[in-house]
Amino acid sequence: MQDFFELAVGAAASGCVYGLIGLAYLLIIRPTGIINFAVGEWAMLAAFGGYVTLTKYEWPYPVGMAVVLGLMFVVGWATERVVVRRLVEGGAPLLAPILALLGMLVVFRESISVTFPPDPHPVPDAFGIGRLELGPIGGTYQSFFTIVTALGVFIGAWLFFERTVAGKAFEAVALNRRAAALMGIDLTRVTALSFGAGAVVAGLGGLLVAPNISAHYLMGVPLAIQGFTALVIGGVGRVAGPLLGGLLLALAEQLTVRYAPVPAGYAQGVPLVLLMVFLLLRPTGLLKAKV
Amino acid sequence: MKSENPLALRATPLIRGAGAFIVLAGAAFFMGDYHNDVYRKLLLWVTLALGYNFLFGVCGQVAFSHFAFYGIGAYSIVIFLFQLHLPFPLAAICGIALCIVFALAVAIPSTRLEGFYLALVTLALGQLFIVVLNEGGTVTGGTGGIANYRLPEIYGLRLRGPWYTAVIALLVVATYAVLVRLDRSGFGRACRAVRDNPEAAAAMGVDVARTKVIAFTLTSVLAGIGGMVYAFVDNTVNPPIFGIENAFLLLFMVIVGGAGRHAGAVIGAVLLFLLPFWLSPLVGHHHALVFGVLVVAAILLEPRGLIGIYDRVADRYKGSPSR
Amino acid sequence: MKLVAMLAAALIAVAAQAQDTIKIGVITDRVGVSKPYSEPATEGMVFGANEINKKGGVLGRRLELLVEDDQSKPDVSAALARKLIDQGAVFILSVSLSPATQQQQTVTMEAKTPQMTPMNSADYLTTQLDNPYFWQTGPLGSVQIATLLAHAKKQNLKRVALITDNSDLGQAIGKAFRGGLEKAAMQVVDEEVVPLGATSATPQMQKIRGANPDAMFVAGVVTATNVLIFKSYRELGLKFPIHASYNLSVPIYETAAKGLVDGITFVDAYDPDKPEVKAFEATYRKETGKEPANLHGYGYDGIMLVAEAIKKAGSTDKEKIRAAMQSLTYGGVMGAKGMKYHFPEGKRTGFDPNGMVVRVYEGDRQGRVVHVGQQ
Repeated sequence: MQDFFELAVGAAASGCVYGLIGLAYLLIIRPTGIINFAVGEWAMLAAFGGYVTLTKYEWPYPVGMAVVLGLMFVVGWATERVVVRRLVEGGAPLLAPILALLGMLVVFRESISVTFPPDPHPVPDAFGIGRLELGPIGGTYQSFFTIVTALGVFIGAWLFFERTVAGKAFEAVALNRRAAALMGIDLTRVTALSFGAGAVVAGLGGLLVAPNISAHYLMGVPLAIQGFTALVIGGVGRVAGPLLGGLLLALAEQLTVRYAPVPAGYAQGVPLVLLMVFLLLRPTGLLKAKV
Repeated sequence: MKSENPLALRATPLIRGAGAFIVLAGAAFFMGDYHNDVYRKLLLWVTLALGYNFLFGVCGQVAFSHFAFYGIGAYSIVIFLFQLHLPFPLAAICGIALCIVFALAVAIPSTRLEGFYLALVTLALGQLFIVVLNEGGTVTGGTGGIANYRLPEIYGLRLRGPWYTAVIALLVVATYAVLVRLDRSGFGRACRAVRDNPEAAAAMGVDVARTKVIAFTLTSVLAGIGGMVYAFVDNTVNPPIFGIENAFLLLFMVIVGGAGRHAGAVIGAVLLFLLPFWLSPLVGHHHALVFGVLVVAAILLEPRGLIGIYDRVADRYKGSPSR
Repeated sequence: MKLVAMLAAALIAVAAQAQDTIKIGVITDRVGVSKPYSEPATEGMVFGANEINKKGGVLGRRLELLVEDDQSKPDVSAALARKLIDQGAVFILSVSLSPATQQQQTVTMEAKTPQMTPMNSADYLTTQLDNPYFWQTGPLGSVQIATLLAHAKKQNLKRVALITDNSDLGQAIGKAFRGGLEKAAMQVVDEEVVPLGATSATPQMQKIRGANPDAMFVAGVVTATNVLIFKSYRELGLKFPIHASYNLSVPIYETAAKGLVDGITFVDAYDPDKPEVKAFEATYRKETGKEPANLHGYGYDGIMLVAEAIKKAGSTDKEKIRAAMQSLTYGGVMGAKGMKYHFPEGKRTGFDPNGMVVRVYEGDRQGRVVHVGQQ
């Protein structure tokens, strides 16, 4: 039983990372409808930022984190400015920006690949390596830090969409771009902000998971797939969707490995089968959008 | 829609197809070993891109399972021929049957899914396929794959070198012909209607689910047949070829060329397959970065694909008073 | 007029030089998954070729390396093998992914062109195809596990756990390790796979903890995944000893796995105290200003072996090179002191089964050699 709680904490931390990546998708999908598969590469960029600021120059963790996330906002904003705006304003079909961003995935990855050596780069835990025991529940500092931080971000995002005028503006754009523009909402600004915020959230996910998986040039695509899976399982209708989806995915992945009586090589296939079955049974995700 | 090209020869499709085959296959006999090999692999990519374009561009289904079916075709023909020792025609038929079964098993339940949900299911399928290949023991050869076999002799003849290239040229031409005919038929119109607006298509009396299933199964089988041909290009099959990376590359090819257009798929496949071969000697290990930048630039400048440039040039010619 | 004469002279010189070089093809990966291993090996080859050329080349001719990037794509790799053969390469050195090397073999076998991989270690490369033109000098997975087990003999292990990753090579080495452990009559109480892209290895390590093994064998070859495994091992406070594949021999662990690797035993093909290694490292540093590692050594030995074979053949005739290669005995940088590459009785795996060494991490540093060979 102790094993289970220990595993649950670790899986919750993984799930929160998937959830953050899923939220990055969601922040952009909401106002624009664009699915941005480059979010995984954003997480990678932030992980490398963490390597440079925290490992190489040994800045204090909060300073390094703030600087990296600030830069991520710029990266997200610039991505929108350079790649997306032209296509959206030019009236290209919705698929065009999605695929241009898929191209940016390659550009981000290869930029890192030619700048840094191909080996994994270490990124430190926020509070060092150590364990925290809360009654029967035990886990690493980093797991608890990841869970707390992610919950904070999700609560923030929920408050933003539910309680602020700006959040309503995002929602309005999502519902009807033309009507929103007529209401005086600056579409361009909302789109740019959504990309900036998406990059910050994805970057946070990358920074939190990097102590485990190291910063390396191939880390983005798996995160992008895991985050997208979290989003699809949870549904795009609600802010909590990706978090719920991420937690479910991580639990399915890790509980399968731990408890399912399948050969080790096939264990990685089980979550894939579960995902396919889930999608076929419930094609709109777990949480329905409010009408 | 586009009007008939006035320059088109007034020849029957059969003659045009035969002409295309002779040109494509004939070219192989003027190439060295290396260029023949690149040409063979290029033609296979063109075949895949044509099929994928029909699924994605014409029918609007974003699927990442195309390479899994390519792999099912390749592995099944090798396993049927050299482990179960079936005669060649029977092995080919069994391989196709296997593709059909798998495609239907994916397509029928997936008709309920829209857009990127289908993408995710097929992405999972593609990953699952690699897991099965790696864990398949002696049947699939595990990570090393299967090697040490050769194309069986037919009437004492073994097709090799440029003669095998000719087989692939035949595959390309046949695939093109089938897909173009299909596109122009009522079925093609139904596919486009389903892509553009499923509700309206259903209201017009199109069986949306059936259209989707047929399109998915058909293109998956075409990919499987491509895979069977691939299995004898290097006489070895191994898992890395059939992975997700290549599925993304295929999507890029169709997009950059021009989704929904057969010629676009051909252009995209040719350009993106050959690009690393050209770039690598020029810019060294930066070639992948340059590749990414070019893809993004192509989409930014021509969101409807490079075929758009051709369209504009063609329009100008038609519109100009000199002709 | 003078200019024309000069140009003509230059052209003739270029032509003469072009004709004079011996072309060696190199198929490497500069952008794909094998890049962390392929790039240093290729650098080692370039360094070796320069060294040979400074000493007057081979048979009085310069070695010219034709380097191609296959992106770890096996189909592209085979096409590049044809390209190199068309360009007149008399030998092909392969340092990309194992399946890519395998697919190149279908070409070299047909074109009867000698090919060697100085670093691929998958056992299937020489067993699947009967290609007399192919050799492998990377240390096999079966040799790695046998060497580790010889060292661990005094620990009297009975119940062991095995963990690997799902990369091509990780699976192949894992299979070899399982075979070796079973052959040594050990009970594999748990076997785990950590897939690439996993964000945690805790469930796998929990299972291994539950199985309570005497030791854990790590067959994985993806550094990031191994770091994840070791991190989980530390976090769970596990104590059983770890015996790891030759991937632990890459120096990146000293920085990428700080505080995680102390006490881990690993198998290596590199002994830093060997005189040849010291000489190699000294000249490499002097010539390039960079710090070499064992991966550079694999590439360096590869080009040296090829040069030896051509020298011995006395010609660039591929058939003569093949025969010379098969009967070659050569001591290089890699391997235990005094180890020589050779291909006895028509075998095509040249790394001496007794040529690997065992080392142990001391803190974050790779320690001295503590054991040699399979005895």
